[in-house]
Amino acid sequence: MLWFKRLIWLGVAVAIALGAWGIFARLTTGHSEANYGSYVVWGLWVAMYLFFVGIAAGMFMFATLDLLFHVPLLRGTGRLALFLTLITLGAGLVHIWLDLGHLDRIWKVYLQGNLFSVMGQIVWGYTIFGLLTAFALLLTLDWFKTPAWLLRVVMIIGLGLAFFLSGAVGALLGVQIARPFWHIGLFPVQFPVFSIGSALALFLAVWAFFGPRSDARYARQIQVLAISVVVLQLIKTYFVWADFSQSMYGGVPMNVQAVEEVMFGQYWWAFWLLQIGVGTVIPIIILLVPQLRAHYWLAGAAGVMVLIGFAVARANIVFPALTIPEIDALANAFNDPRLQFNYFPSAMEWAVTLGILGLTTAAFLIAYDHLKFLKLKEAN
Amino acid sequence: MPVTSEQNVSAPSQTQDAPFAPQDVLLRMQADLKRALQKPAHERRWIMVIDLRKCVGCSACTIGCVVENKLPPGVVYRPVIEEEIGTYPNVTRRFLPRPCMQCDNPPCVPVCPVNATYQRADGIVEINYNQCIGCRYCVTACPYGARTFDFGATYSEGTPEAAGLILGQSAAQTMEREPNFEYGRAWPREGEASPIGNVRKCQFCIHRLEAGMLPACTTTCIGRATYFGDANDPQSLVSELIAQPNVMRLKEELGTAPKVYYLM
Repeated sequence: MLWFKRLIWLGVAVAIALGAWGIFARLTTGHSEANYGSYVVWGLWVAMYLFFVGIAAGMFMFATLDLLFHVPLLRGTGRLALFLTLITLGAGLVHIWLDLGHLDRIWKVYLQGNLFSVMGQIVWGYTIFGLLTAFALLLTLDWFKTPAWLLRVVMIIGLGLAFFLSGAVGALLGVQIARPFWHIGLFPVQFPVFSIGSALALFLAVWAFFGPRSDARYARQIQVLAISVVVLQLIKTYFVWADFSQSMYGGVPMNVQAVEEVMFGQYWWAFWLLQIGVGTVIPIIILLVPQLRAHYWLAGAAGVMVLIGFAVARANIVFPALTIPEIDALANAFNDPRLQFNYFPSAMEWAVTLGILGLTTAAFLIAYDHLKFLKLKEAN
Repeated sequence: MPVTSEQNVSAPSQTQDAPFAPQDVLLRMQADLKRALQKPAHERRWIMVIDLRKCVGCSACTIGCVVENKLPPGVVYRPVIEEEIGTYPNVTRRFLPRPCMQCDNPPCVPVCPVNATYQRADGIVEINYNQCIGCRYCVTACPYGARTFDFGATYSEGTPEAAGLILGQSAAQTMEREPNFEYGRAWPREGEASPIGNVRKCQFCIHRLEAGMLPACTTTCIGRATYFGDANDPQSLVSELIAQPNVMRLKEELGTAPKVYYLM
């Protein structure tokens, strides 16, 4: 396993180095090196924000299986899940913070905010959620003598908040009448499912690569995680089918154009190869075949593939809706590189995302190696 | 009796001394504007009417707007959308100027997480640049693509340097850094300060209105295709124009109630 860890650390080092350049460029040159513009106004960072905060909400829900519902098979996994919640939440929030036009004005959302704005609700919600998660993690450490009911209450509130927030991220897009591709009532329902799906995929990967293989429950845990990921992948695929088929059948031009953009337009390869192929079909095969998932590294790889699929799915929700002109021929009305309806992230955008991913992975590796409380207590 | 836009070019004015003398619509709208400004703000309802039959697609309004508001690259308030309609030999071109619609039910307003965009008493949707955090949620919420983001670029970036103060990049950038006067105050382009990093949009040239002048796009329109005034004033030209049957508004079905009307 040492070579594997070294390989990960090598990747992390490269990612952080690239990220340092990207974040430096972002902080010194503003948005000038980004490829998003005034029409495709949200890009990679917003997609990654949706991806990471989705994992965070789902991971908290997963933590409740141990810390609230006391599922015997998962006993001892709650702390790690809470820790993963915190670092993925951090990754999401850094992404969206760097996406702002005025980084220094984020305080205005708290002190001069509009709580009727879904975005305002999300900012407040995720802040409370982050504090609550940290508090819950603290309560699990047994450093203080706190009554058991306190953790239970915190987890109940957190569970409600996790559902609300993952749904609210769907509503962030769903409330917009300007984009028929987003304006569907199903969005706030889909997103919590996506959250749980991506969180379980992450936990499967972490558990398969770093979990305590000597634990008697380990094989069963991997099996349950694998089957759960498969089920959630199937539900996710059903949602995509329901969404796309209704859009195509309904025939609303902006909606049809957006679906066609995903399936046959500039992002076809991301949808078919990454989201469906790498992110759905291959991992489902691996995780369904007992002989394949018995190779834990393969099960872990399947978890990573599902995560790639979810990340691409988030991007495929954000970009295509914005690449359809609100008014036909708007694209040619005023020529400027920022007034285009096509988008692919710039090197700076990729570098920032890689850097944040690298830092998040490094935080996990360091914490997992040095914070003993994250390790499963086999005696439990 | 309603007066058509064609008739208005030479329509008798109700506000001038010689009632039967021909009068340019600009003069009539100017008089309408002055009358409206005497009322309290909440009693005014500024609207714009664009006669698509008269628009020749010259983009003078776009340029007038860019100059008036000193818009940087990537920011445009009033593009003119050109569309070719039909097939040869029955073919024509349509030009559709698209300012901010200043909707009565603006979808961009409730989504703002910091209340940086809001409706004034006279119905114009305004942006408080110093409040805007640049999240661009309002841009995605606008069904008309009327909002753009100021990336801080200048037209003179990458252009050759030259000696002296009147030529070359430095001289041009000095001009580009001059302040605009949107919302009635000076906004120089310095560093990362607003409006850089903000969402920007047409505001019916509030700064001009408050000085008793028509919006820049209205005065620069060579075909007199753009009309502006107070819809709450039954005497105003725009009130007459929108009372005709050949009026339409963009995406009315969304319930946004735009305040920009098109004559077909």
